[in-house]
Amino acid sequence: MSRDAGLSVEIAQDEPIPLHVAFTTGPSEVLAIFGPSGSGKTTILRTIAGLYRPAHASVRSGAETWTDTVTGTFAPPHRRAVGFVFQEYALFPHLTAAGNVITALGHHPRAERRTRAEALLNLVHLSVQMTRRPHQLSGGERQRVALARALAREPAVLLLDEPFAAVDRTVRRRLQDEIDELRRALDIPLILVTHDFADVVRLATNVLMLERGRSVACGSVTTLMSRPDLSWLREAVGLGTVFDASVTRTYPDRGLVELTFDGGTLLAADRDVAMGTTVRVRIPAREVILATREPEGLSLHNVLSGTVSAIHADPAFDHVIVQIAVGRVLLLAEVTRDAIGRLGMAVGMPVYALIKSVSIDLLTVQARDATKAR
Amino acid sequence: MDWAALSLSLQLGLATLIVLLPISVALGRTLAVHRFVGKGVLESLVALPLVLPPTVLGFYLLLAFGARSPLGQLFGSVTGHSLAFSFEGLVLASIFVNLPFAVQPVQRAFESIPTDVREAAACCGMTPWRALVAIEFPLAWPGVVTAAILTFAHTLGEFGVVLMVGGNIPAETRTLSIAIYDRMQAFDDRAAGVMAATLLALALATLVATNVLSRRVGRRDV
Amino acid sequence: MTLVRLIGLVAVLLCAAEPVRAQKAPLVAAAADLRFALESIAQRFTGESGERVELVFGSSGTLTRQIIDGAPFELFLSADEAFAETLASAGLTRDGGALYAVGRIVIFAPHRSPLKVDARLEGLRSLLARGGVTRFAIANPEHAPYGRAAEAALRATGLWESVKPSLVLGENIAQAAQFATTGNAVGGVLAYSLVLAPPLSERGTYALIPDSLHPPLRQRMVLLKRANETAQRFYRYLQQPAAREILRTYGFVVPQG
Repeated sequence: MSRDAGLSVEIAQDEPIPLHVAFTTGPSEVLAIFGPSGSGKTTILRTIAGLYRPAHASVRSGAETWTDTVTGTFAPPHRRAVGFVFQEYALFPHLTAAGNVITALGHHPRAERRTRAEALLNLVHLSVQMTRRPHQLSGGERQRVALARALAREPAVLLLDEPFAAVDRTVRRRLQDEIDELRRALDIPLILVTHDFADVVRLATNVLMLERGRSVACGSVTTLMSRPDLSWLREAVGLGTVFDASVTRTYPDRGLVELTFDGGTLLAADRDVAMGTTVRVRIPAREVILATREPEGLSLHNVLSGTVSAIHADPAFDHVIVQIAVGRVLLLAEVTRDAIGRLGMAVGMPVYALIKSVSIDLLTVQARDATKAR
Repeated sequence: MDWAALSLSLQLGLATLIVLLPISVALGRTLAVHRFVGKGVLESLVALPLVLPPTVLGFYLLLAFGARSPLGQLFGSVTGHSLAFSFEGLVLASIFVNLPFAVQPVQRAFESIPTDVREAAACCGMTPWRALVAIEFPLAWPGVVTAAILTFAHTLGEFGVVLMVGGNIPAETRTLSIAIYDRMQAFDDRAAGVMAATLLALALATLVATNVLSRRVGRRDV
Repeated sequence: MTLVRLIGLVAVLLCAAEPVRAQKAPLVAAAADLRFALESIAQRFTGESGERVELVFGSSGTLTRQIIDGAPFELFLSADEAFAETLASAGLTRDGGALYAVGRIVIFAPHRSPLKVDARLEGLRSLLARGGVTRFAIANPEHAPYGRAAEAALRATGLWESVKPSLVLGENIAQAAQFATTGNAVGGVLAYSLVLAPPLSERGTYALIPDSLHPPLRQRMVLLKRANETAQRFYRYLQQPAAREILRTYGFVVPQG
């Protein structure tokens, strides 16, 4: 039973909240649906799961049609291969962690269910807590039970509704790592709803940005983060380029690592990453300094040579966003209008981008080699 | 102690339970889970016996199945005896009168199950029936038992409606509460006292049982 | 746990109830004033014939209503003639029935009451004048013949208007007797047949009210269409000397012949 190209979703409705979206997602992708509360994000997840029937919608998973309002097809949730991790986890309070997972193993023979449940709980590092009831577990542990239960269904798509909303920062980072690890182990799409952009930046390969039910941006995270014109994003989280790089050298004594990306190399300040791993990198636009000549005698390690590909001046803001093409990566720099004038910055001009090694954020780190690259 | 009356009261309680409980579970769950046009009206109708004086209930019930009504005449022609002033008539009246006691605790119990838990059951691949049996009932059963206890206790204590619809016929409709009334009119205070004390004890037992159960519901709700 | 024990109790009692239900003793509806007299007669009847009757007491009006609504009585002893006639004209009876007794009313006062009892109700008059009547019990004149008689007597002595505000109405004459003896009322107008019986006679004093002060309490009984053999036999028994003698001891005036 092979899984075809992932999921395709189309929704159009005006009541009770306006929602008009259309997107597809494939195996091993992490699609983040991002937007403020009330923008319709959870509705999209519920539509995919079959918990909600919009006036007009179509949801297809591989060769199966789950929802199609044109033909009147509608498969109820228990007949869809979805794994849903609810915002408040929705664990069954009267069952143990193992019991919870077993409920989703109905498609396996009774004798096997216990062992399978145990294996799944091991996968999310919960073997000790197997016999505990939900009220005896912490928030992070409950979420992992919910994850194990969602995966038990062997779903064609994994849906997560605000998975990190109810946990504190330290737990959040650990959970994000776990989900990232899971994502690499599975070959199904993951759709994650969040109002926190940090989640998007850390985990997502693609993002769908919603505002009042409409998509204002859709595409890979890397591409979107390189757009100079998303002023509302700028207001919300601040602009910064996001892209993937691999660790090619480490300098433990200097506390630096060398990252190679599709356009050059960077030196970032970090001690813990291992050689050969892939890292997601974020460079805040404010941390990028531009120069028209190659400078000398500066403290920073990174001087990248590129060409100005776009300049975006938003009348609402004092500063201007300059997009610089460095190899295949589009870097963003936030500078004053004054500076633009002084340097005579124009599209097509060669320019140098200066970045401090400490300004480079290393986000998700792959534990293994990138042999499962898409 | 009028043993026949006590037995009759207990039989009435049990019979009411057996008929009413399946209805009230279905109704209670429907009201808890679904939204539909006229739901508010239905809830009000269910609650109506709580606020209506027993005489009003008795009046309308007699109208509905007394010997002069179509229903009463149909019953009479089929069975040979009247529906009113018979045990069957009492059970029928009891079902109406006890509707709120049987439905409301069940409704509350099903309402206390978070919606996302129900949805999670569906997303775990459980059919609606399986979800009901494996997830909802294990969580809601204290409410069902509370409903059963309250209904039973309330039936034991019913007087006004029983008197109007059942009369005071020994071993047929003379329940314990009616028997107390009868004994007082016969100036047999001793017998009346014994039976009153019995009913009091049963009522107290009910309250204790319901109390214990409602604490159990609280603990499950995590 | 309670539930399990309850079910067990029910099982036991169900067995206890069986013998009672199995018998087909006919149901006899009787006016509340007949409580002690009729119980006595029924006992004798069972002793002599070996057959049982099941007696149910209430106000004549209420019982009539119940019979019309289908209550399975086989014999009805009203405290008047009108209610019996109502049933006859509704086609529910075998015939017009028979006059079985004429009742009398008394004024009754419980032992520690300020009310003095006398045939002309002078004691009541003076208590009313002093404002000493808190409550005074009679049966409901609407549907209890003894209540009607009480009202007639009170009107005849010109006391109705002044006693009306303090009246407490019993659903039937037995309930009125209840009110009159529990000390909440200063007294009441009750059935002679009830106050003659020990439970009441030892609780207070009474005086017979002249029957000239109210229409006669002619009490008629009727057999319903469904009456079985036993009911019919009881009906006949009630008109025989033994039963009539018992009625007399309870203060009833019985018809000749």
